Amino acid sequence: MNSGKQQVESTVPALTLFVTGDAPRSRRARRHLNAALKKLGQDSIKPLEIDLLEHPEQSINHSVFATPALLRARNDGEISVIYGDLSDESKLLDFLGSFND
Amino acid sequence: MSEADWRLQKQATGIPGLDRLTHGGLPRGQATLVLGDPGTGKTVLGLQILANAVEQGEGGLFVTFEESPAQLKRNADSFSWGGTLTESKAWSAIDARSSIGTEIAGGFDIDGLLAVITSRVKGRKDPWIVIDGIDQLLQRQPEPGAAIDQVRQINDHCERHGWTLLLSGKTGDSGLSPRYLEGIEFMLPTMVLLTARVIDRRLNRFLRVAKYRGSDHMTDEIPMVMNSRGIQLPYVTAPGEWRAKADTERVSTGIERLDKLLGGGLYRGSSLLISGRPGTAKSTLAASIAQATAERGERALLVSFDEMEAPYVRNLVSVGLELQPQIDEERIRFYSRSATGCLISEHLLELQRLIEDFRPHCLVIDPISALLKAPGSEGPRPAIEWLIDLTRKEGITAVMTALTDEGDPEGESTLGQVSTIADTWISLDYNVRAGERNRSISIVKSRGTAHSNQQRELLLSDDGVDLADVYEFGTEVLMGTARAQKQSEEQSAMRRAAMERERRRKDLERRVEQARNELSRLTTELELQEQEAKESSRIAYRHAEAVTRGRQPDAQDDEGGEG
Repeated sequence: MNSGKQQVESTVPALTLFVTGDAPRSRRARRHLNAALKKLGQDSIKPLEIDLLEHPEQSINHSVFATPALLRARNDGEISVIYGDLSDESKLLDFLGSFND
Repeated sequence: MSEADWRLQKQATGIPGLDRLTHGGLPRGQATLVLGDPGTGKTVLGLQILANAVEQGEGGLFVTFEESPAQLKRNADSFSWGGTLTESKAWSAIDARSSIGTEIAGGFDIDGLLAVITSRVKGRKDPWIVIDGIDQLLQRQPEPGAAIDQVRQINDHCERHGWTLLLSGKTGDSGLSPRYLEGIEFMLPTMVLLTARVIDRRLNRFLRVAKYRGSDHMTDEIPMVMNSRGIQLPYVTAPGEWRAKADTERVSTGIERLDKLLGGGLYRGSSLLISGRPGTAKSTLAASIAQATAERGERALLVSFDEMEAPYVRNLVSVGLELQPQIDEERIRFYSRSATGCLISEHLLELQRLIEDFRPHCLVIDPISALLKAPGSEGPRPAIEWLIDLTRKEGITAVMTALTDEGDPEGESTLGQVSTIADTWISLDYNVRAGERNRSISIVKSRGTAHSNQQRELLLSDDGVDLADVYEFGTEVLMGTARAQKQSEEQSAMRRAAMERERRRKDLERRVEQARNELSRLTTELELQEQEAKESSRIAYRHAEAVTRGRQPDAQDDEGGEG
């Protein structure tokens, strides 16, 4: 992962939201994520969206097989994932919390 | 799948027992649910089916939710077919394990999973897809019912794309399906259950096709073996080619006089049981038959339980049986096994492998009673039936010895089971009389043969085994006396019964007589009664008349006279 660290910093966005087309859960996740970012005063962050129906191989690249999924790359290169429509707000805020670590 | 091919088609798994059990394989273009506790063989089942598909020039995909792809390959590599998988590019594995610490914040979809599978198997005809350990993902679904909807979604996807899919997951604590998949057995058309139970300190594995919609199948729990060849179902494996005709050819036992008693020898492909107490020369007789087989230029497989080759062969030399030259010529193969070392079903698989390998004309199992004492929950009977079935189909003459208890040479329960299935049963015993111990031989039964019912003396000498003509046995006399006694007992019982009948008849006659007497007494009484009744009504009439008359003035006298 040493070489990957630069890559993370340079090319991988901080937040990636994996969706599948226009599925209701995907739509809900998008909405919940935007609301949470607003609450945290981070509305400047624009998460990257990847539609797995259009780019199925991306699910293998990121080991994401359930959607919606939110992937967060921290500054130290650590990657964490949260699955679901993000309706559990406290979990989502925890996940996004201390964003400036 | 188009409307035209709605009919159930099956895709062979390449596991002979499973294909036989399901009459051709699992449903093509549908999902089959495989449920079982950890360690019951779900992953191996998926890998083995995939390996067989690859072997057949087909291919597929293995989606793993539990083991890493490297673990999977190591797992596969421990089986004889592992190389097929590890060296092939006709399949691939998708590592679908969640990263550690992954959180769930709401309901999720599996469309992404289906999308990547679709892209991976695109262009492959009739692919096998294994989704192993789907429970790892679906049990985390927070919305009730979502998991079951998604299993259905997977099945629908299979039908649409023509995938034949194995979906494996863990069994629930109670009943078939885990709680998060409650009711799943109604959703999927086919379900296979794998179980493993420790019985007598040994792991017994079972496979059960719990459901197979639209197809005839056996629903029994079938003993399953997992060895270096992977998953095998010994009892449902079709052993080789079927020999439909019953052989009429006789093969010699190597003992001329015994052949004569059996009407010319044993039928080829028939089974012979030799029972007797320790030291009654069972092994010697069995080895003599093996020797005779080898001397005809045929092959005999001698499977000995709990006895080593060297002492076995040496001991036979003392009675004129020289097996070693035949072993060197590869006409006799000796194979020694430890009976309690493995399960009955594992012994059977090994026997089958030996038979396939050596193609013997004669199979000696010495003693079969040891094999039947091997652990296994299914008990000895199916094993014996399977074995005799196999040898009969292959035209192999089977010779089995069985040890019996002192004083009960034809008893013992396992022996009873063998003896009912075996075609011929020879009982060996010895008889101590006038300071001599003499071995005896008698043919208890021999199907399709006019065999002798006489007991003979079995002679062992430097020149081998022979029989002596009918010998005067103390037991014979005793048997005769016992029979006479039995007959007289029966006669006296009949006499008793006749006397009892006579007594009852007399008793009934007496009661009929009594009843008759009673009848005539009652008849008389009735007549009397009627007479009395007439009498009294007459009197009453007269009295009434008198009264009437008395009320008339001119009849005063009459009334007074009557009073």
